[in-house]
Amino acid sequence: MTTHRHRLLGATALALSGALLLAGCNSGQQDTAAEVDTEAPVTISVSNKPTAESPEELASFERRLEQFTTEHPNITVEAEETEFEPDTFQALLAGGQLPTVFLVPFTEMQGLIARQQVADVTDYLGPHEVLQSINPSVNEVVKGDDGGTYGVPTNAYSMGLIYNRALFEQAGLDPDAPPTDWEGVREAARAIEEGTDAQGFATMTTENGGGWVLTTTSYGFGGLMQSEDGTQATVDNEATKEVLQTYREMRFTDDTFGDNFLMNYDDINNAFAAGQIGMYVQGADQYSTMVTTKGMDPEHFGVGPLPQTEDGLGTLGGGTVAIVNPTATPEEITAAMAWIDHYYFQRYSDEEVARADAEASVADGLSVGVPALPLLDQEADDRYLGWIEDQINVPRENYTAYLESTRTLPLVPEPPVKAQELYATLDPVVQAVLTREDADIDALLAEAQSTVQSAIELG
Amino acid sequence: MTTTTTPPATGTTTAAGPAPQPSRRTGAVARWLRHGGLSTLVFFLPLLLCFGLFSWWPIARSLLLSLQQTNFLTSRWVGLANFERVLADPLLLTALGNTTWFTVLALVIGFPVPVVLAVLIAELRRARAIASVLVYLPVVFPPVVAVLLWKTFYAPGAEGLFNTVLGWVGLGPFAWLNNGDMAMPAIVVQATWATFGTATIIYLATLMGIQTELYEAAETDGAGIWSRLWNVTLPQMRGVMLVMALLQIIGTFQVFTEPYVMTGGGPENRTLTLLMLIYRYAFVAGDYGRATALSLLLALVLAVLSAVYLWVTRRWSTS
Repeated sequence: MTTHRHRLLGATALALSGALLLAGCNSGQQDTAAEVDTEAPVTISVSNKPTAESPEELASFERRLEQFTTEHPNITVEAEETEFEPDTFQALLAGGQLPTVFLVPFTEMQGLIARQQVADVTDYLGPHEVLQSINPSVNEVVKGDDGGTYGVPTNAYSMGLIYNRALFEQAGLDPDAPPTDWEGVREAARAIEEGTDAQGFATMTTENGGGWVLTTTSYGFGGLMQSEDGTQATVDNEATKEVLQTYREMRFTDDTFGDNFLMNYDDINNAFAAGQIGMYVQGADQYSTMVTTKGMDPEHFGVGPLPQTEDGLGTLGGGTVAIVNPTATPEEITAAMAWIDHYYFQRYSDEEVARADAEASVADGLSVGVPALPLLDQEADDRYLGWIEDQINVPRENYTAYLESTRTLPLVPEPPVKAQELYATLDPVVQAVLTREDADIDALLAEAQSTVQSAIELG
Repeated sequence: MTTTTTPPATGTTTAAGPAPQPSRRTGAVARWLRHGGLSTLVFFLPLLLCFGLFSWWPIARSLLLSLQQTNFLTSRWVGLANFERVLADPLLLTALGNTTWFTVLALVIGFPVPVVLAVLIAELRRARAIASVLVYLPVVFPPVVAVLLWKTFYAPGAEGLFNTVLGWVGLGPFAWLNNGDMAMPAIVVQATWATFGTATIIYLATLMGIQTELYEAAETDGAGIWSRLWNVTLPQMRGVMLVMALLQIIGTFQVFTEPYVMTGGGPENRTLTLLMLIYRYAFVAGDYGRATALSLLLALVLAVLSAVYLWVTRRWSTS
């Protein structure tokens, strides 16, 4: 009798589990974007609300928010000043405090998608024509292996050669003609070294910066760090060897690389803003950091395209992506996409909004017209820039070569698997080449290759 | 109307007849309450909550995380796979070697300094208080500020502060942090500067507590200054010195701020420590399973060190 009852209970439990499982599957299928009640009341939270230190931007944000809630009376938006920090992102997620819409750097996207820490928004793009017309090479960063879309890029730039125009002039170089190949970079570095008190060239070497820039520069030399599907590490390639050989010659033959080879992002930016460095490879968006944050003279900041060899593949992209909290309900994702469309893209379709935003930024002393990649297509970008022409406070005429390259130089995506670990593995390689004249480049890359391959295989 | 009375705890009966015997548990609770158990609990509760929430629960959670693969939304039990992945990481041995090297250097360079300083300050007839304040001053510096300051001092060019000073006597310039052999000792010197004040004050307090009769007796026996130091001072301080040495080993094994800020683990991972590796697992790779697994392994090593510490101090205190 007891056995029979246990069997009965077991069968019932199994049936119930199966039913629940099916119900779960069904409910998952039902909760698609198509089934969402777009009129139902919903509350979302959004990050990166301007702080009180930028009163005009804050006022502009609040105007836009009010306009949004007028147009979408069922959506309540709770704005937070929270910003992305590598140390706090996981805690926000674990604690259920991650805002519904959150801005993250391009470099984080691949890891977030791999760890399933970001919502798949593919099915929610339908009603938003503008979100479907994002520059395809920029949009690559939000694509998963499954072809899904996991976010919306809100600004984009490409890596280029940042240089100090004032030092170029002092060294007798033409600040309007930045070097386009590495021989040119070496010559310019020597001229800066001889004609000024600054060091000719520099690169980041710590906190993954060394590997990041080495990867970018390798693209310009024609090499990739991983196979396209991310299953094979290709760190030990000829292009990367050439880059490291160039580093070595600039360091030990030309003596144009300075003497500090433990530089992180802040170190190198501070040194550049202080006029201690002639050139380095970094994102074109550095303009804002240099001029607005560090007080560099806008006329001294220069950016050119990433120098390429004959085999050059292009350059790496960077920027910001608006992601949606992976725990968001379909209603919340729908509302989030409406907010992203409204807040980040209305400037491309509404002249009044474009001008008001630009005026607020100028009033707060921020940079308007920073060299960047077209977020949509060139036509939309030109139209937007035309609307805000009289508000542009960035000397864009100084970046002609870079701006032209945004139309021609291909954007090469980041290594698809464990990019940050790959960069971390390459930091010591760059440090070795710059600190030891006898460093064995072949051996260093062979070891890095093995380490990265192991990391890929470990999963 | 009927009333009920609580039977006395002693178990006496009332005139109305035999009262029910209080259970042993009720009696114990009553006794506990009478002896102030409730107030003890009330006072203990905040402590219990604080430790529970901010110490014990995170430790238990770490233990769970080390056995899981998690993205903080869904978790999967992976057994000891995280530990296997940590042990298979070639950087583990590098980090362990570097951390041990830092600990040894900190012991060799950093341990004698406060002892010597404390003895010297104790010998001062005047300005002992000022000397103590000056010695303790570096401890008051916020750690990151102090580390950044020293990073500037260690600037590798001829214009760096240390290189400028050494240049006056014809030495250098040295690469300091940029040199794989010099980086770790340079960090240890900074760490010693930042922490020796606390140890000096503790040693000084110990020295002040040594009975003067011992020195007087030694002097009567004809002992000179070195003999007094060797036969009176050091034996009187040995208990504290041992405790300090072992606490220093445990502390230095967890070094993070100094190499993280000064070198980022470079050059060529020569200053990568175990805590930096844990940080990389968690915040660079987003792999909390591996990070907690290595944390637990480190905790295990430190627990063994603590056991040694207890064993040795007991042995010394009874000898």
